Amino acid sequence: MNKFIFPATIKSDNNGYKCFIELYQLTKEMIFDELILDFNKTSWFDANLLAILGSILNKVQSGLNDIQITNLKPHVSKVFSKNHFLSNFGGEKIEDYYGTTIKYKRFKSSEEKLFKVYLDNELLSKKALPKMTSALRKKINESIFEIFNNTIIHGNSKDIFSCGQYYPSDMRLDFTIVDLGKTIKGNVSRYLQKKFSGSEAIEWAIEEGNTTKTGDTPGGLGLSLIRSFLELNGGKIQILSADGYWYQRKDKSKSLVFDQRFDGTIVNLEFNINDQNEYCLASELKPEEIF
Amino acid sequence: MKEIRINIFELIASHAAVSTTDGENLYERIKKAFDSKIKVILDFNNIELITSTFLNSSVGKLYGQYDLDFIREHLSVDNLSDDDLVLLKKVVDRAKEYFKEREKIDRAIEKALGEDDEDK
Repeated sequence: MNKFIFPATIKSDNNGYKCFIELYQLTKEMIFDELILDFNKTSWFDANLLAILGSILNKVQSGLNDIQITNLKPHVSKVFSKNHFLSNFGGEKIEDYYGTTIKYKRFKSSEEKLFKVYLDNELLSKKALPKMTSALRKKINESIFEIFNNTIIHGNSKDIFSCGQYYPSDMRLDFTIVDLGKTIKGNVSRYLQKKFSGSEAIEWAIEEGNTTKTGDTPGGLGLSLIRSFLELNGGKIQILSADGYWYQRKDKSKSLVFDQRFDGTIVNLEFNINDQNEYCLASELKPEEIF
Repeated sequence: MKEIRINIFELIASHAAVSTTDGENLYERIKKAFDSKIKVILDFNNIELITSTFLNSSVGKLYGQYDLDFIREHLSVDNLSDDDLVLLKKVVDRAKEYFKEREKIDRAIEKALGEDDEDK
């Protein structure tokens, strides 16, 4: 039996991600066993991070292990039920009257169309979200899709996990996408035939024009588009893959290497919802000048 | 020159042009027309959301198959918003670079293989 005790607060930051790496390492070899997740100390858990917990528990389940989620404080349990996370692990679903959650979901990599329906239902029709400009809505949707597609193309993973949360007091919306497929470190090291640390590999991958794609379809734009948008928006992007972690908040970026690794990729996008930018670049571009 | 108009909204049955699969379907359509020397107008009417992935797998991919002048003469777009025009331009510029790089790599491999042959 393995027991994992969650700390008092789990946030979308270094310590929060480190905690999930520890859980991943503890459980990755488990088979025909039992896992107890103890939330007794936990009073705050960023709900978008349930995408990471879901990806780990899904792997634990596939090893035919039993999972027990215990000592959830009522307010934490309520959020986990509202976003339908608990119902995937034997718990109940409850109605999200305030509409601040974006449901926890697991997608197959072939389910791009379902992902679109999910975004439409969960993001565009959220009554809790303040009025956003149509340009902002569009940019948020585009960014999330770019990440989802990147995950399919580069992660080569069967399953993709997502979850989001709107935090009204901070006027921010966090959306997390996770896969347990190929890591950025593995892909970049293979492509450039050179050993990279996890964070060096991410730094290479996020530069405009850099891609590990080798086929007949070009790439190397998605992440740089999101970075430029989030810089203007005042939002944040965090990427964790293997032992590497990199993030950009507004126009500042930072990276670090963890002691242990997560065999997959986590991307968290944080959008500033209180943003009146138009994002439509005053372009003199004529359609006939494109090609 | 004979021309056809491809309505993206009708082709993908969605307001969102976001998937690689949809992009590849569009690429196949364009390719069929190009191979018959037919000019293609891509009509983005009713499309609300476009990703670089969709454009890479439809338009970007063309630059690996056809030369620049042929594409310029045989492809045009209609009903694309200003910001999506900027996105398309980025995808096109990136595709040109990508295939130029790939050509260099292919030539280097060919050269290396040629040198190997000489050694034999």
